[in-house]
Amino acid sequence: MPTKLEVKKVFNKGIYTENPVLIQVVGICSALAVTNRMMNSLIMGIALTFVTAFTSLTVSTLKSHTPKHIRMMIQVLIISSYVIIVDIFLKAYMPEMSAALGPYVGLIITNCIIMGRAEGFALSNAPTISFLDGIGVGVGYTIVLMAISLVRELFGFGTIFNIAIMPEGFTSWTFMVMPPSAFFILACITWFANNQIIKKNKEGVEKK
Amino acid sequence: MKKSFAYPVLYMIIITITFITVLASFNYFTIDRIVFNEENDLRHKILYVFDILPEGEDPQEIEEIFNERVIEKQFDDNPGYALMEGNDEVSYAIRFEGSGLWGSIIGYLGLNDDFTQIIGIEFITQSETPGLGGRISEEPYKEQYRDIELDTTEGKYLVSTPDGNVDAIAGATSTSVAVVNILNENLVDFFESAEVD
Repeated sequence: MPTKLEVKKVFNKGIYTENPVLIQVVGICSALAVTNRMMNSLIMGIALTFVTAFTSLTVSTLKSHTPKHIRMMIQVLIISSYVIIVDIFLKAYMPEMSAALGPYVGLIITNCIIMGRAEGFALSNAPTISFLDGIGVGVGYTIVLMAISLVRELFGFGTIFNIAIMPEGFTSWTFMVMPPSAFFILACITWFANNQIIKKNKEGVEKK
Repeated sequence: MKKSFAYPVLYMIIITITFITVLASFNYFTIDRIVFNEENDLRHKILYVFDILPEGEDPQEIEEIFNERVIEKQFDDNPGYALMEGNDEVSYAIRFEGSGLWGSIIGYLGLNDDFTQIIGIEFITQSETPGLGGRISEEPYKEQYRDIELDTTEGKYLVSTPDGNVDAIAGATSTSVAVVNILNENLVDFFESAEVD
């Protein structure tokens, strides 16, 4: 079992110091595509967290039996299986969400975060901690998506989670609804986050 | 790690079979629900065209009303639906199709029994910009298509001019123009091929 400190470290890395979107800059295609509504981002984040966590768990469990040269095939097989499960689940129980996310659920398979964690973490760590690492990274991804979609939905539709926030007569910013706006917002958030982390690192050095 | 040739092959086969079994059984247990959802989506849309959606939009209720009052009807080669009132057909939903700004737009247009009025519209497939052209699927736009008299005195059935019968969506001119053009073309074709007056 992983110690408390290890768990804390894994979550801290996934959400903050090594955030997949902001610091590693992986998996940003979907971060740009599904962020015009907060609900879409939330479901997408949960789906990705589920897939990453269970893929890491499975890869880590099987790692001592898996021949090295076919490990990528195995990983892709595992990832796609979980993605198909998510896709079927959404179609069966949340058909509206499935329609809203469209092809992006299937495209989770190609999300670099999942294979990155499988290769970079799960292959050299125990199953439980790999599972938690998957959740941590997934949460990190979800938070960034929610932050982008908060800005986009608020200005693009005047709503948050479909609840009207802006006063009546508010002219919605068409630009926010279209994909290019996500580039600008993501860049601003990345800029801010990197500045924070650099500042923190400096402080750490000075204290020593 | 084992160096034999057979081991990786066997391993891959076992893993593949395991995962396929899991997926197949998951699919097997949800397939009925998925099919129902898809059919319900279409039923919901057809009832919307006829403006007889039950309150609460309960899937079971929608299915009941649909089975009771709506029948499939071919107009020449155009598939469509007819709404029954007792034994009489009181209105029709005809399929239309054409190209929008980004992709095909497919939907159903409701007409009254003597084809003089448009009674409703619903889109089945459209891939217009979400939040802009995509808003053709939202109520305020679709509700404009209730009770429009069909006359061709201006050369077209539907027009989006200031004195026209359908308002365009601000910021989505291409989509709005496309929808009106698709409907006009489809209506002309429909009246020609189906030979109804």
